[in-house]
Amino acid sequence: MSVRQPSGIFAPGVIEEIQRKAATGLYQIRGYGTLRERRWATFDDLTFLPCTLTRIPLEGYREKCNTKVRLGTRFARKPVALDIPVMITGMSWGALSYHAKVALAKGAATVGSSNTTGDGGMLMAEREHSRSLIYEVLPSRYGINVHHMRMADAIELTIGQGAKLGTGGLLLGSKVSDRIAEQRDLPIGVDQRSPARHPDFLGPDDMIIKVEELREATDGEVPIFIKVGASRVFDDVKLAAKAGADVVVVDGMEGGTGASPAILQEHTGVPTLAAVCEARAALEDIGLYGEVQLIIAGGIRDGVDAAKAIALGADAVYIGTAALIALNCNKPIYEEDYAAIGAAPHACHHCHTGRCPVGITTQDEDLMRRLEIDEGAERVANLLRAMTLEIQMLARACGKSDVRHLEPEDMAALTLEASAICNLPLVGARKVFGR
Amino acid sequence: MTIDCRGKQIREINRGIRAGLASGEVEVLNPDARHNLAVALLQPGAVRIRGSVGYYCGGLMDGATVHIEGSAGWGLAESMLSGMVTVRRNAGNGAAAAIRGGTVVIHGNAASRLGVSMKGGLIVVGGNCDYMAGFMGQKGVMIICGDAGEAFADSMYSTVCYVGGRIADLGNDAVIEPMSDDDVALVESSLRTHLGEAVRATKPAAHAFRKVVAGKKLWNFSHRDWKTWQEAL
Repeated sequence: MSVRQPSGIFAPGVIEEIQRKAATGLYQIRGYGTLRERRWATFDDLTFLPCTLTRIPLEGYREKCNTKVRLGTRFARKPVALDIPVMITGMSWGALSYHAKVALAKGAATVGSSNTTGDGGMLMAEREHSRSLIYEVLPSRYGINVHHMRMADAIELTIGQGAKLGTGGLLLGSKVSDRIAEQRDLPIGVDQRSPARHPDFLGPDDMIIKVEELREATDGEVPIFIKVGASRVFDDVKLAAKAGADVVVVDGMEGGTGASPAILQEHTGVPTLAAVCEARAALEDIGLYGEVQLIIAGGIRDGVDAAKAIALGADAVYIGTAALIALNCNKPIYEEDYAAIGAAPHACHHCHTGRCPVGITTQDEDLMRRLEIDEGAERVANLLRAMTLEIQMLARACGKSDVRHLEPEDMAALTLEASAICNLPLVGARKVFGR
Repeated sequence: MTIDCRGKQIREINRGIRAGLASGEVEVLNPDARHNLAVALLQPGAVRIRGSVGYYCGGLMDGATVHIEGSAGWGLAESMLSGMVTVRRNAGNGAAAAIRGGTVVIHGNAASRLGVSMKGGLIVVGGNCDYMAGFMGQKGVMIICGDAGEAFADSMYSTVCYVGGRIADLGNDAVIEPMSDDDVALVESSLRTHLGEAVRATKPAAHAFRKVVAGKKLWNFSHRDWKTWQEAL
């Protein structure tokens, strides 16, 4: 062994982190989500089994394959009707710039999809440009406004977030500008730490009453989503359904964030692949699969991830980071500004600094102007279009005339872990492991 | 207009209250501690509830006045934008949670987490409040005539609290600041306005109240205040 062999335990990155702690006495805060090389089962551990002699495919470029989806059919008088099953998740005005929020709204609306407010209340421009706007009610209640709630197409009661389970939001002082401080009723420049618990209910039984209150405030018209970070998914999904959710959103550990302690992003929660399997099993267990719709989030990158999530039981997926990447996140432009914050294109997770080189996660007027709203919106729309085509391609190859007809049987597992988690046969073995 | 809650679904009761507001005052009979009464009232007008209410009474309100003649459950007037909610007796946990404006008057005692995450408005409590009142208070004013429980005014931003009685224990980063003439005048006028002259006379003199605000040590991460952060986190 070389005398220059680095330790596998105290690897260079570990040494750097220990010495950073020694210098500052603080844990590390950053954005983006987990950076780990994934050794757990992911959507990549599944493969589709398209039609051959046992199934008949649909013509890939010609025959109809429906992508429309209705969410909130359980109780709401006006379910959310979307043209595609890929939606934009909640990201706050504060974490994101005004330009980014409006570009996401416009992009989603262009292709008949939805976008979601976030932990900072609603932007009026966001409402104006949205086709379907989901209004989040979060523990912090920043910017809470009953009139905005009543303008929304759905209410999302957020219990937690996959990237940072069991904790509230975080917005460092560099992003708490005068406009953001006013919107959130905070002093300018504070390191804002949002509450982890809702201020007016604690457990699942109280939440039943809360859901009823939200229905009263919206006169029973719009669906109530309940969003949980993926932890004890099987129990949480049942409790959310029991509380009267029309739609349950499960956010896996690969989900992103604008700022959070790094250890929470790396070492808490259940991966998205496992989460969708547990969520479906939970709804089946209480006889509500299909009646309560399921949205899956957390690291969804493309139409393949989305199609696999749908095949495993989701009605739709949320994307967040992927949509930001469409807006130029991590693109190799303004490279000197990446360097200035200690980052580099393709390896930037410095959303927390408020110095986003491409104008997405910043409140700096000069930086945010780098994101041209209409161009950004078109790129978001294009991403959603391409993802939808990818989902349809896989669905047609599997012989489905509706993307939501994709089912577990259309796939096999490439690894033992995925076989056990997804209850799918391992390729070549023709049997499910771990059953 | 009078609405009797007996035998009615909550949606029907609230629709009745909203319709009645347009014509002035609404009297609500037999509330029987029902949850979600008088939620999302969005126009001026008065509601008088003859009894006790459950969770979230007066929640998500903008502009109306709700008088509760009994006690209230959790989340009284939560997220109110403007208006007034008064409670003749006691209020449960998280009263006036996240209010952004308006006034909440509790003539009896308030339970824990009174005014948690409040973002504006005024809270007046004639009696005592339990633990963690004012937790993460962002803006607004809270006046407690009696005693305050443990961890009072913990981790606040800019809410200002006044306590007439004993404070069991100050929360993280809560500090006592001297009462200015303006503070004394604010407490005095608030108590006279919201408790009435006769009741106000039974409460401590305004100059005897103690003012509690944020010490601002938790406003920004700093390794110099490591001990404070360790206890707070």
